[in-house]
Amino acid sequence: MHHRLARFHSHNHPWNYLWAEAALALCLAFALLAAPTSALRFQDRSLYMDSTLPGATADYTVKFRYMSPDPVGSVDLLFCVDPIPHHACVTPPGLDVSNASLSQQVGELGFVISNRSTNHIVLTRASVAPAPGGLLSSYTFANIKNPTDSSQSFSIRLRSHSTPDASGTQIDFGSVKGQVTEGVEIATQVPPMLIFCVAEEVSEDCATTNDNNYSDMGELSPSSTLMAQSQMAVGTNASGGFAITANGLPFSAGTSIIDGPMVPTESRQGVNQFGINLVENDLPDVGEDPEGTWANAVVSPDYAIPNRFKYVPGDVVAYSPNVSLMKKYTVSYILNSHKDLRAGVYSTTVTYIASGRF
Amino acid sequence: MKRFQSIVLAAIAVMFAAAYVVPSVPVAAQSSAALSIVPKKKYTIEAGKTVNDKLTIRNLDNEKELNLTLRVVDFTYRDDSGTPKLLLKEDEPTKTWSLKPFLTVPKQVKVEAGKSKTIDMSIKVPKGHGAGSYYSAIVYSSGAPDGGNVGLNASGVTLAFVNIPGKVNENLKVEDFGAYGTVGKDRTPSYLNFTATEPRLMAYTLKNDGNVTEAPVGSISIKSMWGQEYTIDNVNPNESLALIGQSRTFTSCIKLETEEIKMNGNTSEVKKCSSAGLWPGYYSASLNLFYGQNGNSTKELNEAGSFWYLPVWFIILVLIVLVLVGIGIWLLVRKIRNGGTSKKRSRRS
Repeated sequence: MHHRLARFHSHNHPWNYLWAEAALALCLAFALLAAPTSALRFQDRSLYMDSTLPGATADYTVKFRYMSPDPVGSVDLLFCVDPIPHHACVTPPGLDVSNASLSQQVGELGFVISNRSTNHIVLTRASVAPAPGGLLSSYTFANIKNPTDSSQSFSIRLRSHSTPDASGTQIDFGSVKGQVTEGVEIATQVPPMLIFCVAEEVSEDCATTNDNNYSDMGELSPSSTLMAQSQMAVGTNASGGFAITANGLPFSAGTSIIDGPMVPTESRQGVNQFGINLVENDLPDVGEDPEGTWANAVVSPDYAIPNRFKYVPGDVVAYSPNVSLMKKYTVSYILNSHKDLRAGVYSTTVTYIASGRF
Repeated sequence: MKRFQSIVLAAIAVMFAAAYVVPSVPVAAQSSAALSIVPKKKYTIEAGKTVNDKLTIRNLDNEKELNLTLRVVDFTYRDDSGTPKLLLKEDEPTKTWSLKPFLTVPKQVKVEAGKSKTIDMSIKVPKGHGAGSYYSAIVYSSGAPDGGNVGLNASGVTLAFVNIPGKVNENLKVEDFGAYGTVGKDRTPSYLNFTATEPRLMAYTLKNDGNVTEAPVGSISIKSMWGQEYTIDNVNPNESLALIGQSRTFTSCIKLETEEIKMNGNTSEVKKCSSAGLWPGYYSASLNLFYGQNGNSTKELNEAGSFWYLPVWFIILVLIVLVLVGIGIWLLVRKIRNGGTSKKRSRRS
């Protein structure tokens, strides 16, 4: 009897599990089918402003494609600096949509403005399912006052709802980006400026220089290193910072050239070598470290190694990634020559170019 | 005749020796080399329209006149940063994004010592010209000295950007995303998967395959394994640009501090990164970006990243804890074994 029972159990045991699994699968399928469809992103979203002048009154055309098949009764448009839906909304300075009117609609139709405030518009209609295939729809709003701050973009956070008052669960969502720009130029709060001076000696604020724009290094000799130094000061209130490049051919006399090392290299007597760096050295004793409190204005790594010199025309020798008021750099020059160097008057002009960054 | 030859040879030898040995004679500089200019200009100009604007140049030298030669040159990106690479060669071919054909500035400018001068510039975009971004640089070169064997010359640059509105091709791709900073003695910053010092920056690298410069906006969310969350609301606070064809790395402070500073009587805002007080451990991060020109689709980019922040003190602490736990387990095992042995002994006895 016991054997029979055991056989019956071993025969039916897998089937018992199968039924349980099937029941679980059915429950899951039911749960998934019964659950509301999750929100999708509106596709092909865009914003066209017929005037991008700060503070101007403009028409805004918002386009997007409905993606969910659920009936749509309202569309919520919230104007914020930040496009991320779950972030706190900061109204773009100067923007006003409280007098906006819906002047044109294409695609999904039947909307009217049901609610509006400084940065908020709600479009409403009788709840209808969007046309299959995600119709591209556009809504033009007249009489919107543009934001006044051209230094930052703004966004319209879009949401669709089945309710007529943009309440309850959202169906589709997404943001469009816009920005006001000056017709002539983007005016910032303070006019950006770049201050730059170069001389043998300069003050940190460029207010004074010694008016000497050359340096005489002396006589070339294979048994000595010629040295010189110059100074430059730079500062900018531009948010992008600055960059200084060193340009110009290395030392030359006619077709004879004393090249600069391509990588930071020690000064070696008896070798044709012209190099610079922007830090204090003791071999040879020349140069000074940068002066000034702005830590973000730095010497490029290759030109910041004591007792190592390099010169590649066009290299960035100092830069700042953001605002940096005045900083002074001392440039050290070293010149070595081989005994077989062709005779001639060797000279160079180093052009330091200071530019803003983009 | 022999005497003549020797005289000529001697003269040539003296000439070469003199050229080699005698230092060149210093000559005073011809112009001031201290100036103040506008570093960047940005315009939106419809095709067929002209914009007239002014450029202000200041001579900071109170004694010498500033003689400037103005040149418009093209520029491109140097690397993944915002430093321009100026294309200074006279025979440099004009780039597709060049503003040179549309931009007019005077060729020479003289600014009296200690004074400012405003010069006219104009940008004329031909009718029917295609939409997109165009940019070039205005280079102001001070006069070079005529003597000395190291001459110094200062030049300033204004970067000029023009957007011509209309249908454009916009295409950004995320190439990299994560914590950003320097490692050890390496002073060149890079992406960090593991760091012993608290990261202060998050970065993302975007490849711009479109025909317009792009300045994306959006946010970064960072979550620690301990549950803390940090949000960077503005991932492009300086409105930095990815140039056409550039792979541009944008950096944002995890915690941003702003400070007001004064420069020449004007107040400016300085943004600095400060410590966000991150705890050691594993961090996951998500990037959410938006970009799109007026009238064009607003596009969205999403990317995920992660990093480990494990300071040395934390690693040492973990090692000490592990050693202590190991010792504890060993003592426990020993105690259990000893207990078992003593019980056996007591049973035998």
